[in-house]
Amino acid sequence: MNTFSVREHIPSILVATLASAFGVSLLQVTANLSILVAADDVAGSSATVQVILSIIALVFIVIATFVGAIVTSNTFATIIAGRTRRIALMRLIGATARSQRRAVAGEGLMVGIIGAIAGLVLGTVATVSLILIATNTGSIPSLAYTYLEPIVLIPMGGVLLTTWLASWVGSRRVLTVSPMQATGAALEESREEAAGHRGRNVSAVILFALGTLMLLGGVVVGLVSPIGVLIGVVGGVLSFSGLILGSQLVMPPTLRLVGRMLGSSPSAKLAAENAVRYPERSSRTTIGLVIGVTLVTMFAVATGSFQQLVDAARAEQPQTYEGIDQVLIVTVVIFSILIGFSALIAAVGMVNNLSLSVLQRTRELGLLRALGFTARQLTAMIRAESAQLVIASILVGFVLGIGYGWAGAQSLFGSMSGSPGVIPPVVPLWLLGAVVIVAAMLTVAASVVPARRATRIAPVVALNVD
Amino acid sequence: MDITSEDIGLVARVDGLSKSYGSGSTTVTALDDVSVGIRQGEFTAIMGPSGSGKSTLMHIMAGLDSASGGRVWIGDTDITDLDDTELTMIRRRRVGFVFQSFNLVPTLDIRGNIMLPFELDGRVPSAVEDRWIDELVLSLGLAPRLGHRPHELSGGQQQRVAVARALGSRPDLIFADEPTGNLDSRTSREVLSLLATASSTYGQSIAMVTHEPIAASFADRIIFLADGRIVDDRGRSTASDISQYMLTMERAV
Repeated sequence: MNTFSVREHIPSILVATLASAFGVSLLQVTANLSILVAADDVAGSSATVQVILSIIALVFIVIATFVGAIVTSNTFATIIAGRTRRIALMRLIGATARSQRRAVAGEGLMVGIIGAIAGLVLGTVATVSLILIATNTGSIPSLAYTYLEPIVLIPMGGVLLTTWLASWVGSRRVLTVSPMQATGAALEESREEAAGHRGRNVSAVILFALGTLMLLGGVVVGLVSPIGVLIGVVGGVLSFSGLILGSQLVMPPTLRLVGRMLGSSPSAKLAAENAVRYPERSSRTTIGLVIGVTLVTMFAVATGSFQQLVDAARAEQPQTYEGIDQVLIVTVVIFSILIGFSALIAAVGMVNNLSLSVLQRTRELGLLRALGFTARQLTAMIRAESAQLVIASILVGFVLGIGYGWAGAQSLFGSMSGSPGVIPPVVPLWLLGAVVIVAAMLTVAASVVPARRATRIAPVVALNVD
Repeated sequence: MDITSEDIGLVARVDGLSKSYGSGSTTVTALDDVSVGIRQGEFTAIMGPSGSGKSTLMHIMAGLDSASGGRVWIGDTDITDLDDTELTMIRRRRVGFVFQSFNLVPTLDIRGNIMLPFELDGRVPSAVEDRWIDELVLSLGLAPRLGHRPHELSGGQQQRVAVARALGSRPDLIFADEPTGNLDSRTSREVLSLLATASSTYGQSIAMVTHEPIAASFADRIIFLADGRIVDDRGRSTASDISQYMLTMERAV
């Protein structure tokens, strides 16, 4: 039986903890917000407020948990790839593939339990501190705020179950390990086969096409009635699901494109190849970040475009649109933070994946060192790989976000009084700046540890690894 | 052994080389006061049982590992105290490698692997070098394989690519570490004749670590190591002579 190694699962535990803490804290904050609203508002409306706030909170929790699950299943798949030898040995001495996979899923359950509980503690600490700061500075009155409502069990349970499920999905490859791989005679690298996903690809394309059509329909209907946004939302959800499902159709070509932009030094060339070596793995690594960037961009562009429409309409009817600017800014900031959290979880996954891929390439990196790659070139290579993943995700997310944001603004506000009809999407300058800064920071952050690990590999040691 | 008089014509040399791992009571001595030179244009085999220190000797001579004592030269360059980057440059420009397995970068095609030493050095091969590489590719039968990835080739073909890569930049010295360890006997012979031809026809200096008498019988000179010391240094020998010698060596221990 495999023993549970906390060290190996630290990244997955971190992801589960972050997702659980996010959910717990968000629900505690919304619960307390409605207490706040009840205190100075007409009695009776607070229940409705709580319901609405909780629903919005749950949407964000679902997004964060979903991204966390993708990251975790990817992490597990990568861990399994590195454990092939050990699993093969277990198979050789008589373990069945199913029992091996069950053992991995058991580890996933452990990760889920630890993450859910750690998240409860962390999330509650965050909420308590937030409210303490707010009451002490006098921003909000001291009321009987609550923390441990039963509703926090929802995100905890959600994280626990999705982590467990993700480990099960991620451990699929255990079934393909043959006992022969325990003997040295087997191939050095067993390649992840990319074929055999016809059905999935076809449904992805259909979903995306259908969703995009509905999205455009929403924009057209939106010119006469705000009902258009409902069609648009369904279209958006469909097309985005199609995209996530078909990420292995979109991400590898984008990664190749970005790889070509990195230049023609040997480090850049090798990095470009490495990033698409396992197309499935890199698609899964990047899709989490794509989701985060898409959502942030979507809200920014939607509000930017809305602002444009408001500005145009205000020229016609000034009194109708008073005080709306402030509301818009606050909304964008809050939503960006809430979605940014999912992007953070995705980033953890990216860092971890790059680290694991370096560990699993010990011999190859040693070979490069022996043949004359300097430590500096090796660092440049790892950094280029990291840049490629980050830039490709941000690029795709950015393009998608602009499309969705524009469609959202058009279909919701295209018909409002004084509106000029169709306007081009508005990309706020701050968003461009933020994207560039985040990309640079993430690239460096994701490559620091793996690069240090890689340069510490002595060429001789690498050549002796079995 | 008196090396100083033979200094001219040596492509690599160690003097009083020792190497030990660990410290205190757990110290393991891999090499103990070894002095030897590899001659220009010769195919030299370094033989010995497992644990004799033959791989360690090769690693240090090739700038892959550092010495605990003594000095190491490649050509006239004293590499004993070079830092990591300087050693990397020496390996890149003056040494070629053929390992037992995992010689090729899996993400590069065959052409990319053969051209890697030039790529790493950031230079385009000269017209002469280009012709030389074309000739190598042709004579090794790799021409139809240039666009393939390493995993699409058999073990023997992969090893030929490694030999082509090592020969391509005409390094001062090629180090081959058990190059036939993973090959069947027919393919082994092919690779060994290839190395022998490279040495006899093109004057390429080669040092090969091996424990197989048949492999060593292809070499011009055989250096025997046991327990971290050189115990014999002889010219071309037949496989059976080499086996015989190794058996007596075993009994003596």
